[in-house]
Amino acid sequence: MKICAILRLVPDLVEEIEVEENEIIPFRYMPNERDEHAVEEAIILKEKTGAEVEVIGIADSENEADLDEGLGMAAAKGADKLYKVVLDRPTYKRCEIAKALADFLSDKNYDLILTGIQAIDSYAGNLGGILARYMDLPYIGGVVEVNVSNGNTIVKKELGGGLLAEYKLPLPAVVSVVSAERPLKFVPFTKLRQAMKKANIEEVELELPEIEGVEVLKYEVPPEPEITLIEGDVEEVADKLIEALKELSIL
Amino acid sequence: MDVEEMLETYFERINEIPNSDKFIQCIQCGTCGGSCPYGMGTLFTPRRMILAVRAGIVDEVLQSGAQWLCTSCFTCSLRCPSQIPITDAVIPALRELSLLEGNPPEELAAALMNITRYGNSFRESPRKRDRWIKEVDFEVPLISKKKKAEYLFITECFGAYHRRCKEITKAFAKLMDLLGTDYAILGNEERCIGDLVRLCGEFGLFEDLAEKNIRVFEKYEFSKIVTHDAHAYNALLREYPRFGFKKEVVHHTQFLYNNLEKLKEMFGKLDYTVTYHDSCYVGRRNGIYEEPRAVIKAIPGVKFVEMKRIKENALCCGGGGGGVWLDSFIKDHIKERPAESRVKEAASVGADVLVTACTLDVPMFEDALKVTGLEGQLEVKDISEIILEAIENS
Repeated sequence: MKICAILRLVPDLVEEIEVEENEIIPFRYMPNERDEHAVEEAIILKEKTGAEVEVIGIADSENEADLDEGLGMAAAKGADKLYKVVLDRPTYKRCEIAKALADFLSDKNYDLILTGIQAIDSYAGNLGGILARYMDLPYIGGVVEVNVSNGNTIVKKELGGGLLAEYKLPLPAVVSVVSAERPLKFVPFTKLRQAMKKANIEEVELELPEIEGVEVLKYEVPPEPEITLIEGDVEEVADKLIEALKELSIL
Repeated sequence: MDVEEMLETYFERINEIPNSDKFIQCIQCGTCGGSCPYGMGTLFTPRRMILAVRAGIVDEVLQSGAQWLCTSCFTCSLRCPSQIPITDAVIPALRELSLLEGNPPEELAAALMNITRYGNSFRESPRKRDRWIKEVDFEVPLISKKKKAEYLFITECFGAYHRRCKEITKAFAKLMDLLGTDYAILGNEERCIGDLVRLCGEFGLFEDLAEKNIRVFEKYEFSKIVTHDAHAYNALLREYPRFGFKKEVVHHTQFLYNNLEKLKEMFGKLDYTVTYHDSCYVGRRNGIYEEPRAVIKAIPGVKFVEMKRIKENALCCGGGGGGVWLDSFIKDHIKERPAESRVKEAASVGADVLVTACTLDVPMFEDALKVTGLEGQLEVKDISEIILEAIENS
């Protein structure tokens, strides 16, 4: 069995980002947390089934160095093969990335393709779905546990409100992960650095197709929230809070 | 890792740490467990940890989580009749196994990852480390501009980023400003000094931090380091020399004591009953007991009272050795955290103010005041804050 997990880079919000009308300029990038969970789930599946795990990192020529830590982490955890897919230009259009990826993945014969459910720079949760559409594979998102049995994958999916449901999909399939079954495995510094040194990363350049569809009109910074500090003793604070909530029609 | 591999890794690490050959001299007397603030809440006291390693059941120690129930307070190490380096070797090497297994408590894992990525545990931008200097009404010199200074002031992560601890940094910088001290800070070139990282068993990260910090130190001309962070003081004094760092390191209590005559001329009166908490890495680990007491007692109007557990017997705040990142883990194992017991002790001797000399103490004790209902009755101040208050009261 062969599994791949997709690892995207997103702006590191620890640093301030510049937002211009038609582009977002981060100071640096970091691995998308949900994708790190997809990688973790792939490693868990490897532990369960002995599957071969390949991790496909996506970057562009300006931020590809920021991908090394995430790929090193995957190698330290037990990924068998690493790809660094460098896109020929940065894009926030998931359709274009998904199409290019779908073409790249088409001859790799993966039984299971895992992605994170969403990324903070789009929040739309659509890479997995669009990828499955282009590859003509079944898709399920919102997944918190993946198992494989008799050519099918059995997944646990969050339904909201604390409810979980179990689904069965035929393999091959695309699955988007909310969180792995266990917290992300910690990798000590030395182990990470050794893995980064030893890691055999195949670098691939992909040209992106131009796809009409959803267009970004402009980016804007949300307005600063108004913060009011309510001071006084407990009674006073409670009265003022009730007043404020009534004004907002919450009470 | 199987047990054999664990033991091999464990002894490989232990053997790198000074005096760890004493490990074999453990006489199983149990002084360590009896001295441990968490002794009642753990399945494996240091004595039983050593026994478990000898019996080849190190995996059982790791499964119990006992390796994380240690605040690195150094009481066991100081009292051990065989002088086994429990705090510096026995426990961190067990913690390293836990890190290699990939499953330390989550809060701690996040803190270590943040230090790896950003050079601080707060997940803050390294480019904002010097932001506190914009919050003061005097100029704090950067060594990159000044090039040369007598003292290099290390703020460490808590002193640079933590909302409460920054106030201590500002107070101490203000004192140096008032004293006309020739000092400077590294600003954004500073990164975590790493003592807690070392005590947590992340030896690789500690070495990396030490090497990078020393490379930055070497760029500038200064004669001494001064810091109000007890763990930074300890690491710079005791660990950094292994990596080639040879400068004098001064804790801010020593600095204040050395400037006491000048400070006395500036003091006004304070009407407080004060007690002093001996922070583990100022007192027990590094023997600084009298200097802070002399400084506090010199403030006119201050009534100084001692707690029951003082000097080498002082109770830890619970923040050291990564304890500050293990709060919920520790709360799962013990009923009363050490900081809660300590603030109750301070209140019981009639103190209005609990003075400390380690940046970690202040948030640990202030949280404990909230939990114990002592907020409003007892205040927690760093020694530099009470000194500055005495000066501003003149």
